[in-house]
Amino acid sequence: MKKDDLKEYTGKDGKPAYIAYKGKVYDVSKSKLWANGIHMANHKAGQDLTANIVMAPHGEDVLKRVTLVGELEDKEPDLQIPPDIQLQVNIKEKYRQLYKKFHPHPVLIHNPMGLFVFSALMQAIYILSKDVSFERAAFYSTIFATLTTFPAILSGLFSWWVNYETTFTKIFKAKIIFSAILCVTSIIVCLLRTLIPNIYIEEGLLNIIYNSLIFLNVGFISYVAYNGGKITWPS
Amino acid sequence: MVKANKARISELEEMIQIVLLAIPREISAREFYLSAVAKATSDASRTMFLNLAEQEKGHEIWLRKILNDLKTELGGLKSKN
Ligand code: HEM
Repeated sequence: MKKDDLKEYTGKDGKPAYIAYKGKVYDVSKSKLWANGIHMANHKAGQDLTANIVMAPHGEDVLKRVTLVGELEDKEPDLQIPPDIQLQVNIKEKYRQLYKKFHPHPVLIHNPMGLFVFSALMQAIYILSKDVSFERAAFYSTIFATLTTFPAILSGLFSWWVNYETTFTKIFKAKIIFSAILCVTSIIVCLLRTLIPNIYIEEGLLNIIYNSLIFLNVGFISYVAYNGGKITWPS
Repeated sequence: MVKANKARISELEEMIQIVLLAIPREISAREFYLSAVAKATSDASRTMFLNLAEQEKGHEIWLRKILNDLKTELGGLKSKN
């Protein structure tokens, strides 16, 4: 039987209902579940339903209960994956297993997240108390926060590649854009404080920028993390 | 026309995000059932877990197919604009 012949067996208007599965044709006319050639309001007789089995709550063993009537002559050839693509798939699968085992992103993000918040807290206490040891603490923790941001971002990009095929969606765009902003602003904070060591006491625009960025960084990293949470806890 | 396109594009983007986040879930669900197969103590439960694992694989394939279709449609719409 050919696919075109199969189309006739829709189970409608008193015709028999045939379906094809993996190159074999089955008669399902007698099944109550195929009344009028329609199964579960979704699958129609007269077609090759090989791909549809994945939507079914049952496996292919149910076909043992219906009558085999013949073979489909022009069945789709089994999908052949070219060897080079197969190799890529295998390599990616290996990385995916590694990622799953070590899950570096959730491990590494806590360093910058903690440190940026700590830095802002120290700076706030310095502003209120004028005790410079808090100012030093803020500066040093910003340096470490900046350094630890890179492994966090790289591991995120890696997971995006192995698990989500680097597909751009709202969530990933937000994460990438704000991660980039965070890189720039945190480096600016480090540079300003290194090049102008008195920036924290000299009043003026640069001082305002320096302080603002320390607090803004907390906002930026929180927004990136919030979008990360949306991936693991979708609503 | 352009407005309708825009609406469809954001609809597609939303769908892509949903399908994309669902795929790793199916994969880990499958791996979970497969690990349950190894731990199962009776043939009946082994078969059940194997079936469940098989279904998750099916869902993954199905989702990848949908994702591919959505991406193709989105690509087509975007190149028109
Ligand atoms: C400093 C920058 C970043 C921070 C602080 C951060 C934070 C987070 C957080 C809090 C989660 C949720 C983790 C969980 O629920 O276990 C997460 C998940 C995730 N993030 Fe990030 N993220 C950053 C950058 C990135 C970047 C640049 C990407 C790449 C586009 C990315 C991709 C992901 C992915 C794919 C997940 C899902 C969980 C996983 O695959 O392990 N992240 N992120």
